[in-house]
This record gives sequence, structure tokens and C-alpha cells, in this order.
Amino acid sequence: METAATRTTGPVSGTDGGTAVTFRGVTRSYGAVRAVQGLDLDIAAGETVALLGRNGAGKSTTLSMLLGLLPPSTGTVRLFGGTPESAVRAGRVGAMLQDGKAVPRVTVRELITFVAATYPAPMDVDEALELAGLAEFAGRRVDRLSGGQAQRVRFAVALAGNPELLVLDEPTAALDVDARRTFWRAMRGYARRGNTLVFSTHYLEEADDHADRIVVIDGGRVVADGSGEELKRRTGGTLVSFDLRGAASAPLPALPGVSAVEIRGDRALLRTTDSDATVVALAGLDLVHGLQVTPASLEDTFLALTSGATTGAATAASATGAAAASAATASAKETV
Amino acid sequence: MLDYVRLEVRRTLRDRGFVIFGIGMPVLMYVLMTNIGTGPGGAPMEWKTASMVGMAAYGALGAALGAGTGVAEDKQLGWLRQLRITPMGPVRVVVGRGLTGSVTVLPAIAAVLLVGALVNGVRMAAWQWAALAALLWIGTAPFTLLGLGNGYRLSAQSTGVVNTGCMLLLSIIGGLWFPAELFPGWLRTLSAWTPGNRFAELGQSVTQGGAPGLGAVAVLAAWMALFGGYAVYAYRRAARTV
Repeated sequence: METAATRTTGPVSGTDGGTAVTFRGVTRSYGAVRAVQGLDLDIAAGETVALLGRNGAGKSTTLSMLLGLLPPSTGTVRLFGGTPESAVRAGRVGAMLQDGKAVPRVTVRELITFVAATYPAPMDVDEALELAGLAEFAGRRVDRLSGGQAQRVRFAVALAGNPELLVLDEPTAALDVDARRTFWRAMRGYARRGNTLVFSTHYLEEADDHADRIVVIDGGRVVADGSGEELKRRTGGTLVSFDLRGAASAPLPALPGVSAVEIRGDRALLRTTDSDATVVALAGLDLVHGLQVTPASLEDTFLALTSGATTGAATAASATGAAAASAATASAKETV
Repeated sequence: MLDYVRLEVRRTLRDRGFVIFGIGMPVLMYVLMTNIGTGPGGAPMEWKTASMVGMAAYGALGAALGAGTGVAEDKQLGWLRQLRITPMGPVRVVVGRGLTGSVTVLPAIAAVLLVGALVNGVRMAAWQWAALAALLWIGTAPFTLLGLGNGYRLSAQSTGVVNTGCMLLLSIIGGLWFPAELFPGWLRTLSAWTPGNRFAELGQSVTQGGAPGLGAVAVLAAWMALFGGYAVYAYRRAARTV
């Protein structure tokens, strides 16, 4: 997991502008199953956006409609003000699909050279290979690469045309920790040039670490939309804990910002939406002993946002270590 | 689109199965059928020539259908889907595939004709060689369309089987392996209506110093229209799901 310090690049200004992606009232059904039900979404040019959701939440369907691979059942999808097809034809879009397999009997360089040549203003092939971490495999046949290397090839395919909008469907699924870090470093560099980046993931940390904005999708709808910090705040995302030293716990639930109170032995754990106000109030009560203020775990936030998260969502259990955070996760599980 | 054709031709020629069965088989069968069990004087020159055309046609037919097998594989790999999000339009992908077929039929035609000239001593005027190669090349178009139709319509596994079946059936009934003159009467009549038979007839007429008959051209054109319609139908159906 990368630290906050590595994403000081901040949000990229989309000054040149306009809107890269627009969804209006989009639904998509497969027979009787509604995979996407009523999606409204605007993504500005230059933004880096994560679509976060559990498996089956509708992320891949959403991205397929964004790329024009799948027509919406109702509603409209626009890219740069036109249809997805026209944006794709104009070479403004590159994508890494989730289910793509290696194309047999071509070398990495042949494949990337071909894809680049289909675009009007492609990236230099060597640059694309370098960015994707494939420089040393350029002469290898694509079907003779390992899973992680093949995934980099798909990434290079997405990059080769130097597109303004890069769409990545669960881009790091087959990558190990090192490859993941290299991948995101390349991605940040690409976004910094003013390009728009949309990726789907079910890793909370990944969304929080690498996106300016997280769109949480559940049951085919947007259930939350904002920066990682905003999402955490919205769900009462800070934990304040301190030693009671025998003081009464009765006044605690009434303190400003506090949404939940848990007492463990002599230690009180408060969930708060406004930790500053809570701490000031605690100081007024002379309760600041062994004070700790920790952000609620992302799992906690995610569970609070997605209804019916019975299984799967919390399995990653990011081993935060902080007793307070894990306790909060446990209590959140109970309430869901 | 030429880049696409180049890429696909390269991929086809690197396929060991294609080289062995698509080029090696027709050559081997030609050599065997004109040199085994033919007595001390060897096979008559007419048979060496006729079989050369038949085997070249068989090889070309197989390669043309093979273009469709490639489509089905690419569909399964998700490569066709990936191509849809490049600026290359879907129509150019199909046309590119068709053109790929028209290139990959050439090695089999060339190999069999070369063996005919160099090993079996078939002698013809230069224009006849040129016209024969050209007609065998152009005449593969209906089979390419049939192969593409199967490729878009069926799964990768079924396409391989169905295309191989089509190749054998059309070759044998068409009289490419054994001359249709040896068939019983009813089969001979049937054979004359099949595209494989008329495809070879294009070539046979040239080796006999004439131009292809109107009947052969008409029957082939009808098959081409039918297979073309099938390919368009299959493509339209598949385009929604690719």
C-alpha cells in the first residue's frame, strides 16, 4: 500500500477542458437482470477517477458502455460530447479490457507497433514499451510471456495510441506488488500530461491512493462519489480514542460530531464526523489522556457505503494493525 | 488496414499447423498420387497436370477457410473486442481478414505448381502458368467468405472442426482429390453444382488452353453470393457480442 506522500501530484487541472465522459440515465439489462440501473456521471477532462465496487456491482458493464462496446438499454453515454464510437474512431480512447488474452504468434514490439499505427498521433513505440515496463521483452512472443508480463502488454496496447482518455478495467489484477507500483508510477505520469484516466477496481487502497475521485458503484448505481477523504468523512470516518481513567462515559454520545461510542475496559472509542470538534469538547471535559485520532479503515467506509455487503468486500482486511481500526471494522460488520 | 493484413499474414505463416497441413499436405498428396501405383512409365502427363490443379485448389481452399478459423480464435481471445476500441473500424477488420485470406492461399498454390513444374515435369506456356495461378487465387474468394462466416458465427472449437469438414467435403465431392469422371453418375451431376468442382474447373480449362466456361463462372458466382450473404449475416450477429 502506498502512502499519502506518493500522491502529492494532486488533482490534475482539466483547464483545457470540458467533459470527457457523460452518463445520463443509463441502464443496462441482461434479460431480467439489471446490471446497471440509472447511472448519471460526469468526468471532466484531466480527472483520474476510480470506479470502486464489489464483483458484480456493474463496473465492467459500465466501462463496456463507456467504450461503446455495449449499447445502453436506456439513456445516453457521451465521450467528449460525441458518441463513444466516434471518439474511438478519432483515436481519443485507449482501453485495457479485463478479459483480453495474449494474441498468439506476434512479438510484443510487432503488436504494439501495429496498434500504435492505427492511431492518428500515437506514442513512440519504445516509449510505450518503456512505460509499460516491457522494454526487455520487446522481442518476445506475446503468447510466451507470464501472466503479469501479458498484463503489461495489454497495458501497452491501451497506451500505444497516446489516447486522451485511458480506460482500465481492473488493471492490476494479475500484477505482483512491485509490478503494481511500477504500473501506477507510469499511470500517474500519464495522467499528469493532462489525460483522463478511468479505472475500475475492487481494491479500496488502490482507489484511494491513485484516484482524485472515487465513484462507488453498488447494485448498478452510484452510491457515493468524491475524494477518498470526502467519502471517509461522509461515513463518519474518524476514530477518536482515549483513556477514561474512571470518568463517566454517559456524556460521550452527545459530544459534537460523535456518531457511535464503544467502551472497552477503560478506553473509549468514538466514531466521529468532525474529529476537531470532538477533541476540543473532550479537552473541555478534561478527558485527553492517551488520545489517538485515526482515520477509519477504508473497509469500514466501503462497508458503510455499499449495502448488503455480506461477503467478499471485507475479505482483504488490509491488516491495518491499529486495534481501534479493526475494532471499528468489526462493529461495522455487525451493523450491516 | 495494410498493417493489419501484414500482422495477420505473419501470424498465419508462423502457425506450424498451417504450414504443415495447409502447404505440406497438398504437396505431399500431389507427389504421392502422381507417383505411387502408376506403373513403370509413371502417371500420364494429363493426370499429373489435372492433379496439380486439383491439389493446388485443395490447398488454396483449405487456406481460404483457415482465415475464418483465425477469426474465431481471435474472437475467443478477446482480440476482436480489443480491435473494436482502436480507431480501425469494424468493416476494415473484416475486409482486412478477407485480404489476409487472399494472401495466405498463395503459398499452397505456389508450392504445388512448383512441384508440378520441377518434380513432375508439367510443361505449359508462360501465360498458362500465370493465368492458372491467377484464377486459382481469385477463385478462393467464395471459400474465404464461407470461412469468415463460420468464424464469426461459431465458437473457436466448432469453427476448426466445421472448416476442416467443409474443406474435406468440398475437396472430395468437388473432385479435387480424385477426378469427378471416376464418380458414379449421380455424384458426378451433384459434383458439377459444387463450388469446389467449379473452382478447379477454372484452372483445368486454362491447362487445356481454353478460357473458363460460363457455367463454371456462373456457379461459382452464385456460391460466392450465397457465402457472402452468410458472412454478412454471421458478422452482424457476432458484432453485437464480440
